[in-house]
Amino acid sequence: MEQALNIGTQLDWIVLVIYMMAMLLFGSYFAKYNNDTNDFFFGGRRFTWWLISMSIVATGISSHSFVKYSAMGFKYGFSSSMSYINDWFFVPFFLFGWLPIIVYSRIRSIPEYFERRFSPSARFFVTILQLLYLVGYVGIGFLTMGKAILPLMPEYLTIFGFQIQITLMGLIWVTAVIVGIYITFGGQTAVIFTDLIQGAMLLFAGLFVFFLGVAYVGGWSSFWNLLPPAWKVPFAGFNSPAEFNSVGAFWEDAIAGSVGFLFMNMGLIMRFMATKNVHEGRKAATINILFMLPISAIVVGGGGWVAKAMFEQNATIFPSNMTADQVFVFVSHILAGPGMFGFIIAAIAAALMSTVSGLLNATAAIWVNDVDKPVRIWLKKAKKDDPSDEVRAMKVARISTAAFTILGILAVYAFKSYPTVYQAHAFFHATLTPPLMIAIFFGAFWRKFTPAGLLTTVIGGISLMLLGHRYPQELIGPIAHGTPFDAAHPYTYMAALYNLIVCVVVAVVVTLSQKQLQKISNAIKRNKNNKLIMYSLIATAVAIVLFDLLVVFAKLDLLSLDFTFFLTLLMSGFVALISTHFVKYDPEAQTLGLTIWSVHKAKEWFKGSKLNEREGENVLVHFKVVDGEEDTISFSHKDMKTMEAEVGDLVYISDTRKWLGGLKSCHSVYGEPHNEDGIVYIKNLHLTKGLFVPGQLLEAEKEM
Amino acid sequence: MPTFFNSWLPFLYLYIGGGIFFTAGMIIIRKSKAIDMRLKRDRFWWKVMIFGFFYFALFHAILITAALYL
Repeated sequence: MEQALNIGTQLDWIVLVIYMMAMLLFGSYFAKYNNDTNDFFFGGRRFTWWLISMSIVATGISSHSFVKYSAMGFKYGFSSSMSYINDWFFVPFFLFGWLPIIVYSRIRSIPEYFERRFSPSARFFVTILQLLYLVGYVGIGFLTMGKAILPLMPEYLTIFGFQIQITLMGLIWVTAVIVGIYITFGGQTAVIFTDLIQGAMLLFAGLFVFFLGVAYVGGWSSFWNLLPPAWKVPFAGFNSPAEFNSVGAFWEDAIAGSVGFLFMNMGLIMRFMATKNVHEGRKAATINILFMLPISAIVVGGGGWVAKAMFEQNATIFPSNMTADQVFVFVSHILAGPGMFGFIIAAIAAALMSTVSGLLNATAAIWVNDVDKPVRIWLKKAKKDDPSDEVRAMKVARISTAAFTILGILAVYAFKSYPTVYQAHAFFHATLTPPLMIAIFFGAFWRKFTPAGLLTTVIGGISLMLLGHRYPQELIGPIAHGTPFDAAHPYTYMAALYNLIVCVVVAVVVTLSQKQLQKISNAIKRNKNNKLIMYSLIATAVAIVLFDLLVVFAKLDLLSLDFTFFLTLLMSGFVALISTHFVKYDPEAQTLGLTIWSVHKAKEWFKGSKLNEREGENVLVHFKVVDGEEDTISFSHKDMKTMEAEVGDLVYISDTRKWLGGLKSCHSVYGEPHNEDGIVYIKNLHLTKGLFVPGQLLEAEKEM
Repeated sequence: MPTFFNSWLPFLYLYIGGGIFFTAGMIIIRKSKAIDMRLKRDRFWWKVMIFGFFYFALFHAILITAALYL
């Protein structure tokens, strides 16, 4: 895959270059909508469901999706769609649990949630994990994009008489600069609006290849009859082959992947936080899973399905040395003419750009909120909630976006050493996802889950997972449901089940042992050598972690597996005791409003007063700008009654042109009513925030 | 030819295994009162969530039936 095949024409390159330039200009245009970090990271929390839903499509379909799923579609048929239509099981937890918690608690990043729910040390560990996860993801995104596009490029490109050699890293640097520029200046608003175009392009390009292919083989009936029967089943074999099976897909994708994607992908979470309210976020998630994901399954896998039908009809149409990974490229080249082929290349580039831009924005959000700000507060260089720090925060946001773009490219050099990008991706993902996933899931849905449970899950859980990676046959084999052992990629999917089990067991055992741990901690406190005891425990735990790392990465068999496993469990126990001893935790205060069991409290905090849940109707109004600095807007008595609103309730006003998707809108608070029906009095701050057009009708909606 | 092992067995595993998580989620959101069934909007979402589960199950069942018999 890493060589140029030169199957494009001059027209294709022109289409690609025009597209790249257009995205650069379009994304940078949205810089004017960024007044503060709230706008930069969350787009001002103003957008409607359809815009966010399309943005999620563009984020969810990465550049490697076309290559990977078309390959699977060619080799196994409709079962390539498995991972796109198995995401419904955690929807209740998300729509009525995690989504309202993150919105109403006004957190700005997932690590911030962990500090409020657990402790600053929990935030520290989660910040490290999240930054590693996101930078690694950015690197893998760049690498897969380069690997997907490079074969389409000529070996040399001549521009104004200069001959430039096309290399994988050269291609990655060019794309990274373009993405870096528009995300650095445009922020989340740029991400969402460029995603709208990129999402549409992705859907169109994938469906275009699929329907052209169906027509090519003689219509739907021929397509259906040409496919072998086993290719038409929507599931892979139950537990074989090793590289693709249903039971593995269930644990790795339907369970771990769905929770990972919906609950801990900061890029995706920020999309939901950019919706105008929780109800709109629910709509975006639901439409995306119910309709957009099944369509996406055709978009990314359809190329492989039609390629199989074309192959059955005439095997000589494809080169004899074609690999499964090259299916999408070849089938697109056969079906699309010059120019259209370039458009499809641009769609692949779009997939990368939209995925990576969202991740970069999320990485910058974590840097600003979880590293820069807490460190400045700790150094007493800034005060908490100091508005004057916003200008500086915006600068830091932009600089860190650029810096993380470069770090993402540097990560490519590390991942390049792996035999395949999927191996690198699978190991990286399987190691970082389960502990974070369990931490978020138990944190939000289990009141009893403690900081000791969390920290032990992160440290002990990861150590046990690494042992599973080192001894797959012994540790994963017994729970692998009979999936074959592949020495080169041992239990790629079933490792997820093992990882989940060890993290859940550690989290549950430590949390349920909290009273006993507290008793031991108290006994140690009463001992005059308490410091010596605790430092000895810390030193022993660190030594065992280092020992585990040597066993796993240096492949040293110093002790038997049983004893190594026992030592790791012992270390987990020490971590639980150390956390219980040192971390200050108030279970009452630190769960209030931060778990599903008290989400109503979070809603009250969000509003700042008692909730008014009476259901009114929206009203259409013209606006009038009045003097004042206060963030309140005023409606007539009659309009207030129609909306069932009271002074102090939250309100959202937006331009009535639905196609803007909420771009011209803002949130505010109901002020004292007046007597001019159909008119809303707004202040200059609302005009600046909403960029309302004079004379344009606005729609007002009571939020709560 | 497709067999029980790549048609109905994965279907049953997916919807029984996934159904356990789904049902647990539905019970927790009701017990925690995160969903307020007195509100029209929340009643709507309750129905949407149940619909979604059977929508995907039906979708898979139709695809399997078509693959086996068409």
